[in-house]
Amino acid sequence: MKRFILIGCLTLVGFSTALAREVAPPPREVKDKYEIPYRLTDTNHVLVRVKINGKGPFNFIIDTGAPAFIMTEALAKKVNAREKEGKLTFDKVELEGGMIVPDAWGVAVDMFQLKGMNSMGLAGVELHGVIGYNVLARYKITYDFTDDKLLFEPVNYKVPEPKRISSKDKDQGSLESMGDLMKFMAALSGTKPNFELRPRGFVGIELEQKGDQVLVKSILKNSPAEKAGLQVGDVLTSLSGKSIKKTKDWFDAISKLPEGAILKFKVTRNGTEKDVALELGKGL
Amino acid sequence: MRSIMTFSLLLLGLVGAAFADSKESAPPPDKNQTIVVPFELVPSGHFIVKVKIDGKGPYNLIFDTGAPMMLVSPAIAKDSGLANKIKEKPPIALFGMMGFAKIDEFEVAGVKAKNVQTQIIDHPTVKLFSKEYEPKYGKIEGIVGFPFFSKFKMTVDYSKKEMTFTPSTFDPGDDNTVMTRMMEKMMAGKSEPKVVGASVLFGFEVSKNTKDEDEGVEVKSVMSGTPAEKAGLKVGDRILTLGGRWTDSVGDLYSAASFAKPNKEIELGILRNGKNLKLKLTPVSGS
Repeated sequence: MKRFILIGCLTLVGFSTALAREVAPPPREVKDKYEIPYRLTDTNHVLVRVKINGKGPFNFIIDTGAPAFIMTEALAKKVNAREKEGKLTFDKVELEGGMIVPDAWGVAVDMFQLKGMNSMGLAGVELHGVIGYNVLARYKITYDFTDDKLLFEPVNYKVPEPKRISSKDKDQGSLESMGDLMKFMAALSGTKPNFELRPRGFVGIELEQKGDQVLVKSILKNSPAEKAGLQVGDVLTSLSGKSIKKTKDWFDAISKLPEGAILKFKVTRNGTEKDVALELGKGL
Repeated sequence: MRSIMTFSLLLLGLVGAAFADSKESAPPPDKNQTIVVPFELVPSGHFIVKVKIDGKGPYNLIFDTGAPMMLVSPAIAKDSGLANKIKEKPPIALFGMMGFAKIDEFEVAGVKAKNVQTQIIDHPTVKLFSKEYEPKYGKIEGIVGFPFFSKFKMTVDYSKKEMTFTPSTFDPGDDNTVMTRMMEKMMAGKSEPKVVGASVLFGFEVSKNTKDEDEGVEVKSVMSGTPAEKAGLKVGDRILTLGGRWTDSVGDLYSAASFAKPNKEIELGILRNGKNLKLKLTPVSGS
């Protein structure tokens, strides 16, 4: 009997899977700290990526409100996790940033919270699970949201097995139906998540901020910018009807345009305004 | 069918209540001020902290990095006077939901944050935990989430059962993200692929064949006079990481590049002739 609990899309989890006894891990060489890249999802969840048994990366939420390393049943199957008495074990669990979690164990449960969020694509990425207490407690973790990395420092702490809390509460049942309800509402409103990523288009210019002006500092050979006749020293003045004062104005406007899109903007060259149109190319 | 439609409309009604009023500018944080907060680790692996709401309390709340919002029970909302600050009430009181309110000063054992938005609700999970732990620790009355902890540089150390907090300049905003996103996605219907990328210029191009399941992406061209060329990147190199982030697909590479900043060095992990190399690259402002 498995039961996981949370409101709307909030991950607080009551744990109730029967678990085997923790086996003392054999000593291994570990670094004393790891910088783990994370990002905030569109829903402000702290997301890290994990490769399991060499497959992935998969998206996991760092969740002190969860008792264990929890993943969807489909994922457990996909990575060929070994299952014994409701407990999953793996050959290798690696977090982005180069940190291998020795002897990590997990559980496979389709959390209704994740089901709900994934049905609408609320987080902006597909969520495969959460990393909870049984893994987190093995590290001293530093969170700094002005930085793009978390700091994981292994600590010498034998993590006690989390105790299950059972629930036959009626409210809990209606809470858990939220996942299916959201899925149904998504279908009803025609909401289809799209987790595909497309590279932004390439112009081929280096920019320079001078006071309230954004100038073309250099132009790459054979780039869309060169083909469109852009010149060094041109002042970028407006893009899609919006005036450009800071480089950020330019980046904000073009960051949503993929390769192949047509970019139209205005430049001032020797005091004369010119219209420029170019097809965005490939490049970073 | 009709009743379901009505319910979804009500849920959207709740979203309306989720929008908070305008932000107030906070004084600059004092970065030298680090406060140590002990926590109570309970057998289920969760941890409890003592909090004060507008000077009232202390109350027991669960500390949850997986919670994008704050939750407090109607009982402590009434006790602390927070219940009087509710701007808009939800149209239905699912799980005793009273609405959203802004806490003027939220305090976790000496660590204080101003203007913290919270939802007031009798959360079934919180009740369940409360029932389990009340005999030993007293009632549990809610959840501390992202709107509070994101305002600090925070460490969590289970071995010492303590956290530390140092004020940070990060501003989580007031937006109730889960509900706002839900409304946005439902209004948008079928969504387009997300365009990702950097606001910096490296000067290379990559590709990856759909049948290629190996790690990384392959460098197809390196443009002359660019940071990529200066760093020694070569055609045929396989980029495995950028800034410590895996780049197993072209989308992933662009996504990793979105964290790069102009004129700031970033490390590229590459595979060249079977050898793993690290290249230091300093991208420039450009696109």
